[in-house]
Amino acid sequence: MSDVVVSHPWKDARRLPVRTIRADHLAREAIDDVIQGLFEYEIWSGMALHEIRQRFRRSTLGPLWLTLSMGIMVGALGVVFSTLLKQDISQTLPYIATGLIFWGLLTNCINDGTTAFIGSETYIRNVPLPISVHIYRMIARNLIIWAFNMAIYVVVLVVFQIPIGWATLLFIPGFALFLLNLTWIAFAVAVLSTRYRDIPQVIVNLVQVVFFVTPVFWSLDSLPNHPAFVALNPFYHLLEIVRAPLLGHFASPLNWAISFGSAAVGLAATAYLYRRAYARIAYWV
Amino acid sequence: MAHISIEGLSVEFAVFGSRARSLKNTIMAQATGGRVMSGARDIVSVRAIDNLNLEIRHGDRIGLVGHNGSGKTTLLRVLAGIYKPNAGKITIHGKVGTLLDPSAGIDYEATGIENIYLRGRLLGMNKQQIEEQISDIADFTDLGDFLQLPMKTYSAGMAARLTFAISTSLQNDILLIDEGIGAGDAAFQEKAHKRIERFFDQTSIVLLASHSEDLLRRFCNRRLVMEHGQVASDGPMHSPAPPADRRAE
Repeated sequence: MSDVVVSHPWKDARRLPVRTIRADHLAREAIDDVIQGLFEYEIWSGMALHEIRQRFRRSTLGPLWLTLSMGIMVGALGVVFSTLLKQDISQTLPYIATGLIFWGLLTNCINDGTTAFIGSETYIRNVPLPISVHIYRMIARNLIIWAFNMAIYVVVLVVFQIPIGWATLLFIPGFALFLLNLTWIAFAVAVLSTRYRDIPQVIVNLVQVVFFVTPVFWSLDSLPNHPAFVALNPFYHLLEIVRAPLLGHFASPLNWAISFGSAAVGLAATAYLYRRAYARIAYWV
Repeated sequence: MAHISIEGLSVEFAVFGSRARSLKNTIMAQATGGRVMSGARDIVSVRAIDNLNLEIRHGDRIGLVGHNGSGKTTLLRVLAGIYKPNAGKITIHGKVGTLLDPSAGIDYEATGIENIYLRGRLLGMNKQQIEEQISDIADFTDLGDFLQLPMKTYSAGMAARLTFAISTSLQNDILLIDEGIGAGDAAFQEKAHKRIERFFDQTSIVLLASHSEDLLRRFCNRRLVMEHGQVASDGPMHSPAPPADRRAE
């Protein structure tokens, strides 16, 4: 009899699947859970779409409200900052637009990550699915919101004639790396929040502080050298690797290095955490 | 042939008091060696299943009986792969269908049709399989055009009929059911029972945890009484008379 864990035998109707559940195999199952969860894209993308549809049901503009409220925010901050700092609005507005759009994606995923497992209690306790599905569902939902917000960028791109070149292409690997970092953060936050119910409060406050110390809407251009809270701030580097390409610049090698480094360290640490916590999550929620 | 073999299964879990979930108390308990903060580690460990051994064969319709907290639901959750065991080994041959909470995944703001998709997906059906089931579900529930309306407009009976119909639409080798599979009003009850019969006939192994003696006697052929996470008795459904306290429920 094989010890291989067939995680989704109920999908395979042709041969009678064999599933072995053993107490001493749980750590390995944790990594299977993360991978099997990805393959359940029909479920998590379907649920994410449903959640968005449900949120804007019976509203005339529907999810365009997302675009609209982000647009107003970007417009207002753009005008205020370009006036206050006497900067050219054609520089300020695209910078603020891209900053807020990606910061929104990042912090929504962190904040929603705190409740990704806790809020899915009924599913986790009653439906046999990989629990990672609930993380992917949350990320997918925020990616849909992000896609609506990206309409603002397209408008900014056209209005301010941002140059498109080779630098722009680097957005693709940049965004992939950004998402990779987002994913491990979401997993880590979700696991810790489920076990310790103070963590969600800590995270919400932390995210708010980080928002102000990270150059999201204010720019570093006016400063001769980078202060420590920026240079050592991984969120700044993460933001740069997606923002710079969209504004037609190259992100610095340091931006890339730190983003790669935090992905590597973060993924390793989260894999360790998830392996340890996985078997208990259904009991904790 | 479908088969379940359970060897030496033990399930233990910690029930946290509100204090144990707090970060401050955990840190304080670490820092002070756990002595100063009284009750900082008020974690009660519950042994829900205690060294359980069980063989379940093709054709078994097991009625799981026992007091609340005797481990029935925990056993079903472990077999479904939801709860992870602390010790032991389980081998399952066959596709497992799980009906622990028939309303898990139901969104009352969404329409009946949307809920068929939502719930169907969670049961492991793909889009095509769900589409094939829709007319059958519509027929069975008699909901007609109501399926296009949000479920919050349904009466309790209508909602129960729909969740029941969706839950009983996917065929599996092994079926794990916890409580309320019966649905709706008395007139509907007979129709529902016919559907359960058909549903069970296509299934190789059924585990049904229930307090309803009628349901158990009608659909099960093996009676498994659980007590304190162990098997207290195991035998054919009809021979042993149910204990008096069970009849009272």
